[in-house]
Amino acid sequence: MKLIPSAALLSAFIVASGMAQAETTLSVLIDNNPETIAAFDALTAAYTAANPDVTFDIEQRAGGAEGDNLVKTRLATGEMADVFAYNSGSLFQALNPSETLADLSDIQGNVIDSFKPVVTSPDGVVRGIPFGAAMGGGIYYNRKIYEELGLSVPKTWAEFMANNEKIKAAGKVAVAQTYGDTWTSQLFVLADFYNVQSAVPNFAADYTANAIKYATTPAAVQGFQNLEDVFKGGYLNEDFGVAKFDEGMRMVALGEAAHYPMLTFGIGTVKQNYPDNVNDIGFFAQPGTDAAKNGLTVWMPMAAYVPATSPNLEEAKKFLSFVASVEGCNTMIGAIGATGPYLIEGCELPTDVPASVADMLPYFQTEGMTAPALEFLSPIKGPALEQITVEVGSGIRPAAEAAALYDQDVEKQAKQLGLPNW
Amino acid sequence: MTSRQRNTGIIAFLAAFIIFILPFVFTFFMAVKSRQEAALFLFTWPSEWHFWSNLVEVVQARNYMLLLAYFNSTIITVGAVALLVIFGAMVGYVLQRRPSGWNKLIYAGVLMGLMVPPAVVPTIWVLQGLGLFKTIHGMILIQVAYGLAFSVLLYRSFIATIPRDLDEAAIIDGAKPWAIFFKVILPLLKPVTVTLILVQSIAIFNDFTNPLYYLPGRENVTVQLTLFNFQSQFQSQFNLLFMNILLVTIPPLIVFVIFNRQIVAGMTAGAVKG
Repeated sequence: MKLIPSAALLSAFIVASGMAQAETTLSVLIDNNPETIAAFDALTAAYTAANPDVTFDIEQRAGGAEGDNLVKTRLATGEMADVFAYNSGSLFQALNPSETLADLSDIQGNVIDSFKPVVTSPDGVVRGIPFGAAMGGGIYYNRKIYEELGLSVPKTWAEFMANNEKIKAAGKVAVAQTYGDTWTSQLFVLADFYNVQSAVPNFAADYTANAIKYATTPAAVQGFQNLEDVFKGGYLNEDFGVAKFDEGMRMVALGEAAHYPMLTFGIGTVKQNYPDNVNDIGFFAQPGTDAAKNGLTVWMPMAAYVPATSPNLEEAKKFLSFVASVEGCNTMIGAIGATGPYLIEGCELPTDVPASVADMLPYFQTEGMTAPALEFLSPIKGPALEQITVEVGSGIRPAAEAAALYDQDVEKQAKQLGLPNW
Repeated sequence: MTSRQRNTGIIAFLAAFIIFILPFVFTFFMAVKSRQEAALFLFTWPSEWHFWSNLVEVVQARNYMLLLAYFNSTIITVGAVALLVIFGAMVGYVLQRRPSGWNKLIYAGVLMGLMVPPAVVPTIWVLQGLGLFKTIHGMILIQVAYGLAFSVLLYRSFIATIPRDLDEAAIIDGAKPWAIFFKVILPLLKPVTVTLILVQSIAIFNDFTNPLYYLPGRENVTVQLTLFNFQSQFQSQFNLLFMNILLVTIPPLIVFVIFNRQIVAGMTAGAVKG
C-alpha cells in the first residue's frame, strides 16, 4: 500500500518537472531605444511562436552612464537577466567578461568574422552575438543645398572645406555642431580613424602597446585639426555651444545646415520627427588627404550576451542562436528596417532603404573601404575625449595641444586596465 | 503702501513668476504639442493641442506602466515616511531626554549616517542575504535607513524646546513612558512632523537612483523610472516625456498644497537650540 502513494507522488513529480521544463521564462534586459525595443519585441514574438514553451519577460534600462552602472552592478551582484544587450568593444571589455559572461563560441555559425574580435574576452573566448545594424561614422549632408549650389560629394578634406566656403558664401550654415550633447563633438576625431589607419596601418596595435602617440602622429592630429578648421572658418551654426543632437539632425534634415558629422543611427530620429525629409539627407565618409583612399569608419553594433550565472543558460543560448540566424536578422529588418548591414552572413538588406543608408552601403561592398573605429580595435579610450573635443571645436584649445592632452588622458585609463608598457 | 513697497512687491512677484511658474508653463506647453513641434524645443504657444492623445499615450505606454509606478511609488513613500516619523521621533526623544554615556556613540552613528555615502554593491549583498532584494518592503527599509539620520537630528533639536515639566506632570498623573511619548510628546511635534513629511515624501517620491539600483524588475517600476520610456540616448519623444513629467509632478504638488499652511511654521522648527 505504501508503494502506491509514493508512485503517484513520483509520477506527479515527473509531470510537474516536465511542466516546469516546458515553461521556461527567459528574462531579458535591453536598453530603452525605441528601435531596440521594437526589434526585441519582434524577435521574442517570433521565437515564442516557434517554441510555445519559451516566454519572455522583457525589462528596459536607461542608456548612457546610468545604463553602464546598472549593467555592471547587476553583473557584480548576480542579478543579471538571462539575456541582455550591451555595447561591444571597449565597453564590453570593462564588464570583466572572462568571469561574468557565458561562452557563446558555439553559436557563431552565421556571424561575420569581423564582428567576433569586439566581443572576445582577453582569454580568447567569443562571448556575444551581434544585435542590430552596424553604423558608419561620417558626415550627413543636405542634398537640396548640394543641388542648389551645384556641389559634389567631397573625397578629400580640402574639397570638403572648399564646399563649406561656397555654402558660407551663399549665406548658409555649412557645418552643424551640437556641443550641448558633448558626445557629439567627438565625431570629427573618431570618424577620422579610417584615414589614420590608411596612413599608419599599425596604429591601433602600436597605440595599445604605448609605442605611438596621438600628438606625434600627424595623421592622428588631423582629426583634432579638422575640428579647429571648421571653427576657424566660421562655418558653424550660431548656437553650436548649446544645441543638442536632435537639433543637429533637424538642421541637416530641413536644410538649415549643409553638413552634420554623426553616426548613421541618427536617421532614426529624422524618420520619427521629419518623415517627409528622410530622403533629403545624404551621407559620405569623412574625407582624408588622399582621394584614392576614401573609406568609412565603422561602429560595430551592440551585442547580446548571457551572464555566466544564468539559471537558463541552455535556453538563452538557443534563443541567441535564433537571433544570430538569417531568420532572426530578417525578423529585425521587418520590425525596424535597416540603418546598416547586420553582420549576419546571408542576411540581405531590403532595397527600399533611406537615401543616406543607400549612400553608406557601397563602402561595405568593397573590400578595404571600411575600418572599425579605434574603440573596437584597442581597449583604450580616454574618458575626457568629449570635453577636449568641445574645447577644440569652440576655439579654446589648439589642435596640437589637445592631442597631447588626450595622450595624458588615455594614460590614466591604460594604467587602470593594467596594460603592459604603460 | 509706499511706492517703494509696491515696487518690491512687483519685483518679488515677477521673480517668483519667472522661477516657479514659467518652467511649469513650459512643461505644459511641451506636453500638449505634437512630436515634431516638441522636438523644436521652443517656448511657443502650441499650434495644435494634443493634450488628450498625449495623455492617453503616456498612460498606456508599456502596458500601463505609469499606473503601476504610481502605485509602487505611493506605497514606498507612505511606508517609508511613516516609519521615518515614528522612529525619528522615538530616537530623538530618548536621545534628548536621557543623557548617558552612550549618547556620544549614538551621535557618531547618526552623523555617520548623514555623511558617509552608501555603497551600492555591498548594500545589495546585504539585501540579498536578508531576502529583501527586489522587494517593495526592502526598498522602504533602504529609504528609511538613508533618511533616518536627518529626521533624528531634526526631532532631537525640536524636542529640546518642549519643557521637561510636561513629562513630569504626566508622570505624576500616572502615565507610563509609552503613554507620555504617544499622548503628550508626539502631538506636540506636529510642526516638525509636517516639515519632515513634506521634505522626505518629496525626496523619496522623486528618488531616481536608489530604485534604479535596489529595485530592478519590470514589476517594480517607480514614477521617476517611467521617464525613461520616452527618453533614450539617441532618440527622445519630447512631447510624451514632458506629459509624463507633468503627471509625475502632480502628487508632490498636491502634498504641497495640503501642507502649505503648516510648512511655514514648521520650517523654523528645530532651528534654534542645539
